[in-house]
Amino acid sequence: MSIDTLGLSRRSVLKGVSGTALALSSFGPLVGPSRALAQGAKVVRVLSVEDPFFFSMKAMIPDFEKETGLKVELESLSYDALQARLVSAFVAKSSDADVIAVDQMWLGQYLDNGWIIPLNDYIAKDKDIDFGDFIPEVLYSSNMWRGQIATLPMAAYAQGVMYRKDIFDQFKIAAPPTQTTEAWTWDAYLNMLKSFAGKEFGGAPLFPTVVCGSQPSPIVHMFTQISASLGANWFKAFPKAPWNFEPQLTGPAWIQSVNLYRELYKLSPPEAINYVWFDAGTRFAKGDVAMFYWWTPYFYLVKNSGYMTGKKSDVMGKFGVGAMPKAAGVDQTISLGGWSLGVPSSSDKQDAGYAFIKWATSKATQKKMALWPDLNYQFSDFGRASLYKDEEIKAIYPYLDVQYDMMKQGNGKVTRPPVPGYTALESVLGLTLNQLLTGAGDPKAALETVNGLFTSILKGNLMIPYQKESFDDSLGAAKALISKLSKS
Amino acid sequence: MSVQAVLAPRAETPAPRSFVRRYLPYLLIAPSAIMLLSLIAYPLLFALRSSFYFWNLQIAPQPLAFVGFQNYIQALNAFDFRDALVNTLVLSVSGTAIEFVLGLASALLLLRALPGMNVVRALLILPTTIAPIVVGFLFRYLYDPSGGLVIWLLRVFGLPVPPQGLLGSPHTALAAVLFADVWQWTPFFAIVLYASLLSVPDEIIEAARLDRASPLTILIRIKLPLIRRTAIIIAMLRFMQLFNMFDVVLVLTRGGPGTSTRTLGYSLYEQGLINFNIGLVSAMTWITVLIVNIIVAIYIFFAFGNEEW
Repeated sequence: MSIDTLGLSRRSVLKGVSGTALALSSFGPLVGPSRALAQGAKVVRVLSVEDPFFFSMKAMIPDFEKETGLKVELESLSYDALQARLVSAFVAKSSDADVIAVDQMWLGQYLDNGWIIPLNDYIAKDKDIDFGDFIPEVLYSSNMWRGQIATLPMAAYAQGVMYRKDIFDQFKIAAPPTQTTEAWTWDAYLNMLKSFAGKEFGGAPLFPTVVCGSQPSPIVHMFTQISASLGANWFKAFPKAPWNFEPQLTGPAWIQSVNLYRELYKLSPPEAINYVWFDAGTRFAKGDVAMFYWWTPYFYLVKNSGYMTGKKSDVMGKFGVGAMPKAAGVDQTISLGGWSLGVPSSSDKQDAGYAFIKWATSKATQKKMALWPDLNYQFSDFGRASLYKDEEIKAIYPYLDVQYDMMKQGNGKVTRPPVPGYTALESVLGLTLNQLLTGAGDPKAALETVNGLFTSILKGNLMIPYQKESFDDSLGAAKALISKLSKS
Repeated sequence: MSVQAVLAPRAETPAPRSFVRRYLPYLLIAPSAIMLLSLIAYPLLFALRSSFYFWNLQIAPQPLAFVGFQNYIQALNAFDFRDALVNTLVLSVSGTAIEFVLGLASALLLLRALPGMNVVRALLILPTTIAPIVVGFLFRYLYDPSGGLVIWLLRVFGLPVPPQGLLGSPHTALAAVLFADVWQWTPFFAIVLYASLLSVPDEIIEAARLDRASPLTILIRIKLPLIRRTAIIIAMLRFMQLFNMFDVVLVLTRGGPGTSTRTLGYSLYEQGLINFNIGLVSAMTWITVLIVNIIVAIYIFFAFGNEEW
C-alpha cells in the first residue's frame, strides 16, 4: 500500500509541512512559554530589565535576604524580551514573577488590563515608606495612571547636557550653564556647537555633537526632548481631560524640532544615523565629541570606555554636565523616563513582592547602590529627593544638583505620552525621523504623512473618537494624591 | 454458484491479518500526524482566527471585535509593506543564489585532496552553529566605520565606503545585511553539497574523463544533475529561512536607514512583539505564508515538473 491511496503524495506533504513550519516560525515568538512555576513561600521572583540599576541592585540583594529571610530569584532580560515575556505570561494568566520591572510606557497598558495591582492601599498602610520623599514629577511621569500608584521608581531618568571641559577651555568657549536660564536656548546650544565645526582636538577631527539616529525608540527618545522643549504636543488633549487623541504633528513646533534635529545630525559623526542609546554615549566617551545631551544615567556611564565595562574612558574627569537648553518664551519641559517596580496581579505572593519593592526603592538601599564601588560607581538615578542632597553621595556624583533641577522640570506624560498603543506611533515617528536625517525630504510634508498615519493607527485602536472615560491627569492632582497617601 | 457463494468463503479468510496489513501504516504514522496537527496546525488555525479580530494587547487583553478582512487590508496598505516585501524578496532570492554558488564552489574545492582539507571541513561548520543574533553583533563590529575589519579591507582595496558607514547608507545597508547572512550560511550549502557530491560514483566521472569531457562539462552534465534533488531542496529551505529573516536585521539596522533593510520578518516582529497587535500580525503571518507557498510552489513546479520528489 502506498500513502498515495490517501491522496497525499510526498510532494504535497512536504509542501504543507514547509508552509506550516514557516508560519509557525513566524508566529512562534508570540506563543510565550508557560512559566507557572511552583514556588516555595519563602521565595520572591524578580524579573528585571538589564539597565544600569540592575547590577548594583543585584549586589544588594543579600542584604534583603538577610533582613527578611526571603530568598530572591532575580532574572534579567533585554527591553524587548522582558516586555514579550511579561505580556505572554499575563495573557496566559501564569504566575511568572512576584516583582517586575515596568517601563513608564507600559504602565497604562498593564494597569488598564489588570496585569499589575495598584499600590495605593499598600502605601497608605505603610508607616515607614516615607512616600513624600519621592519626587512628584517622577511619580507623576512614571508611576501614576488614572489616579493610581501602580509602581514605585527604581531608577528615574531625566535628560541633561554633557560637555568636554578641556575642549571648551582650549577653544575658550564658556561652559553651558548648570541651571535653566532664558538665555540658554536651543539656538544658543546650536551656535555653541557650530563653533566647534571643522575643528581638531588632540590632533584628531572633532565632532561638535552626537545624536541617536536609530529607529524607532532611540531617535524618538532624543528627538522628543527637543519637541517637548519647543512646546510640541502629540495630541489635541492629553493628559488633561477630556482626552482627545487627534494627532497634532503638523504644528510649527514639530517642524522646528525636526529642523533642529537635522542640524544636530549634520554636526554629528555620519554613522550616528544607526546609533542606539549607548552608541551615542560610548561615542562621547571615546573623546572626539565636544558636547551632547542624553539621559542622565550617561552622566556616569560615560566614565566607562564601553557600556558597563568598568574600564575608565578617555573622558573621565574631563567632562562636565549642564542644564538642557530651552525654547525662548516657552516653559521648559524635560523628558522623564526610567524603570519602576510593580507587583503582577497573577502573583500569589503580592505582600512579599511589595516588601521587595519597598526595600529596593528605599532611601537606604538606593544610597547603598550609589556607594557600591564596582563598575566605577554606577548608580545615581534616584527617585527620592533626599538622596540628591546627601553629601556622601554628592562627593561621588558631583552633578546631582543639575540632575535634580532637570527632574523638577520633568513631564514624561507630555514628552512621550504613555497611551495605549504608543509603540505603533513611535514606530512611525521613529522611521520618519530616521528618513528625514538621511534624505532631503520636506519636514512639513513628512509630518503631515505621519499625522495621517497616526490618525489611522489611533482610529484602528479605537482611540479616535475616545470612548472610554477620561482622567484629568495633572501634576497638581498627582501632588495632592502623594500628599494624601503620605499623611495617611 | 451464486455470487454470494463465491464471496462468502473469502469473507472468512484471515480478516484480522488483512485489517492489520491495511491499517498498520496509519497506526504507525498516527502519533506523528497527531503531533504535527497539534503543534503546527493549531497555532496556524489560531492565527487564522485571530486575523479576523481586532485584538491589540495594548488596548485590551482579549479580542474586542470581529473585523472581517480589515487586518489584511491594513497590513497590505501599511506604509512599510511594499518596501519590506521588496527587501525580503531581494534578500531571499539573491541570498539563496549567492550562497548556493559560493557553497558549490567551496564543495568542489573540498573534494580536492589538498593539504589541510580536514581542518577546513571542520572549521566550515562553525559559522552555522552561531546564533544569528550573535552574528549580528559580530558584524556590527566588523562594519564599525572607525575601525571595523570589513571597512578597513574595503579602504585597503580602494573601494568607496559611505561616510555614514555601510549600515548607515540606504544604498549599502541591505547588501551589508546580506553579506552577514552569506558569511554564516554559505558553509551550510558547502557541507551539504559536498556530502552530495561524494555520492556521485567515481566510475561515471572516470568514464567522462576518458571521453575527454572538460571539468566544466562534467560539473554541468554529470555532477549537478546527480545532486539536483538535494540542491533544490536545500535551496528551498534556505529561501524560506531568508524570507523570515529578522534577527540579524534587528541587531544591525532595526530596519533602517528609513525602510532600506526592513523585511517582512522584522515587520512581523515589530507588530507582534513590540506593538502587540495580535490581529494585525496574524493577518501579516498568513499573507507571508501565502506568498512563500506560492513562490515555493512555482519553484517546485519548474524544478521538478511532474517528477515525484
